[in-house]
Amino acid sequence: MKRKLALSFALATLCVTVPLDAQEQTAPVADIPRLANGKPDFSGIWQTLSEADYDLQPHEGRRDAPPSPGVVEGGALPYLPEALARKEQNFAARATDDPRLRCYVLGVPRSVYYPAPFEIFERERDLTLVHQFGHQVRTIHTNGTLHPEDQHQEFWLGDSRGHWEGDTLVVDVTDFSDATWFDRAGDYHSTDLHVVEKWRFVDRNTISYTAIVEDPQVYSRPWTIEILLNRRRDKNFELIEDYCFTLRYDKFYPHKATQ
Amino acid sequence: MRKTLVAALLAAVIANPAFAQENPDSDPNPNSSPFPASASLSSVFNPAGFGSEWENTVPVIASAPWSGPRTADGQPDVSGNWSNTIANHANFTDPQAGDPGYPSTAASLPRGQRAPSRVSDPAGGQIPYLPAARALQQDYERNFPEPSHAWHVEPLARCAPAGVPKSFLWHGWEIRQYPGIVLFLFDSGTRIVHLDDGPHLNDSIKLWNGNSHGHWEGNTLVVNVTNNNGKALFGRTGDFMSENATVVERYIFAEDGKRFNYVATFTDPTVYSRPWTATVPARRFTEADPTDDWFNNVSVANRPGQPLLHERLEQVCVEHNGPSDGGLFDLPPDGPVIDR
Repeated sequence: MKRKLALSFALATLCVTVPLDAQEQTAPVADIPRLANGKPDFSGIWQTLSEADYDLQPHEGRRDAPPSPGVVEGGALPYLPEALARKEQNFAARATDDPRLRCYVLGVPRSVYYPAPFEIFERERDLTLVHQFGHQVRTIHTNGTLHPEDQHQEFWLGDSRGHWEGDTLVVDVTDFSDATWFDRAGDYHSTDLHVVEKWRFVDRNTISYTAIVEDPQVYSRPWTIEILLNRRRDKNFELIEDYCFTLRYDKFYPHKATQ
Repeated sequence: MRKTLVAALLAAVIANPAFAQENPDSDPNPNSSPFPASASLSSVFNPAGFGSEWENTVPVIASAPWSGPRTADGQPDVSGNWSNTIANHANFTDPQAGDPGYPSTAASLPRGQRAPSRVSDPAGGQIPYLPAARALQQDYERNFPEPSHAWHVEPLARCAPAGVPKSFLWHGWEIRQYPGIVLFLFDSGTRIVHLDDGPHLNDSIKLWNGNSHGHWEGNTLVVNVTNNNGKALFGRTGDFMSENATVVERYIFAEDGKRFNYVATFTDPTVYSRPWTATVPARRFTEADPTDDWFNNVSVANRPGQPLLHERLEQVCVEHNGPSDGGLFDLPPDGPVIDR
């Protein structure tokens, strides 16, 4: 309780004296886990409470999505006219065509706000994100290495290179395939997708996650989403593998005398 | 990486690593067949040999105190890239004999000139199956070359996780360590080993890679694997455990950090007449070793002017769900598989 009061007081003070943008980037948050090198330690199991995966944009409740004010700054995604038609096709076919329904890798940033837990394992040289859903493992390198020279490998999760700006982890993600969607509403991208993520603690059990997304083939300008990630603190909670793309053939195995 | 063709291609090359090196996972047309039009199943499954990279002996590594480097939380530091040393998963008990129906050239050598069975106990090198289980294993082995039912297609060819213990008979893997955690990143799947000895998940939950809790004893990582679904098989000879199996794994690391033996005891009264033990030898790769697409499946990190550093790139195999020859066996349409 003492700690909470101190933190509230500190935040109140900051709110009065520091503009919001600057506060987001620079204000150190007290009492967060840190690695031996002093960097924030995001290790743990995280999951969003947001409705982002249903539809990034503002929407009313519908048969397959709860309502949400949306998570895109400014509301709507800035589609180019011809790209909007494709999004509308995707929306119409979402009950069958969303790659998530085949348990494919969800991409970035969708893997972060898909409503299933993922675990972060952090070392000085990298962060490893193991997602419960499907077979999704992403390494965010924080050892000063650059994107590979070959920029046409078309990774499902992109190639992630991070660096620290104060207590904020800034990650540049490039070289994507075009096989993933952003949400269940058919929002999509091309292989020209480029994402800049910002990860920072709001408190020790909450991460603010921001993604700045650009894709000149699909959108007229970059756009930004922000969601919160909550630490899973349920008793004995651990990830349970969910390689659900195996469900098509699960029944064939193992050997069974009844076959 | 978008490894659309990976399951079929890798299924074809597992007996011959040289083939893998000549065929990087970069098919420009993700919908094309991974095989040349003229290639038959037999030609891609009939390797010239088991490859000069394979060793045919298993080193002895004794359990002992650990005197090597440690992680910050006190574990023996075994992080890095590793691979098995004697063979892939073509044949579990005669590792260098080739696939069922497609013997390697080494298969004609006297048995003593090939690597020993992975079954280190019992002494005869055979899994002590109960009769009904043996019949199922033999049925799979007999039908592997020309599958006529869906269950004769190896699950790995459909991108299934390789499971326990087959993940160690497949591509190289990376170990990353954290306080209380040993993380295995395989080509086909991931294992999180909790260094807390439990609790395990409820018995009703069955998983391709099981549920792993363990601890260190000197140079040995001891892991109890429960909650196995028994679906992954151990290789192309159809060896298997059931969903009733438990596995106690002992990863015994050599003092110099260059090797470990994976020594796993399988207990399953519904399939085996007695517990039995498998031994899989493994070696470490460092920046001094060449990279390839099989054992040391890593890339050179882009950091001009600095010392060589290897890093693992994304490994994804989810969308190729056919058997090795590209046909389909009793698979439902390629539609949604979940409704959530």
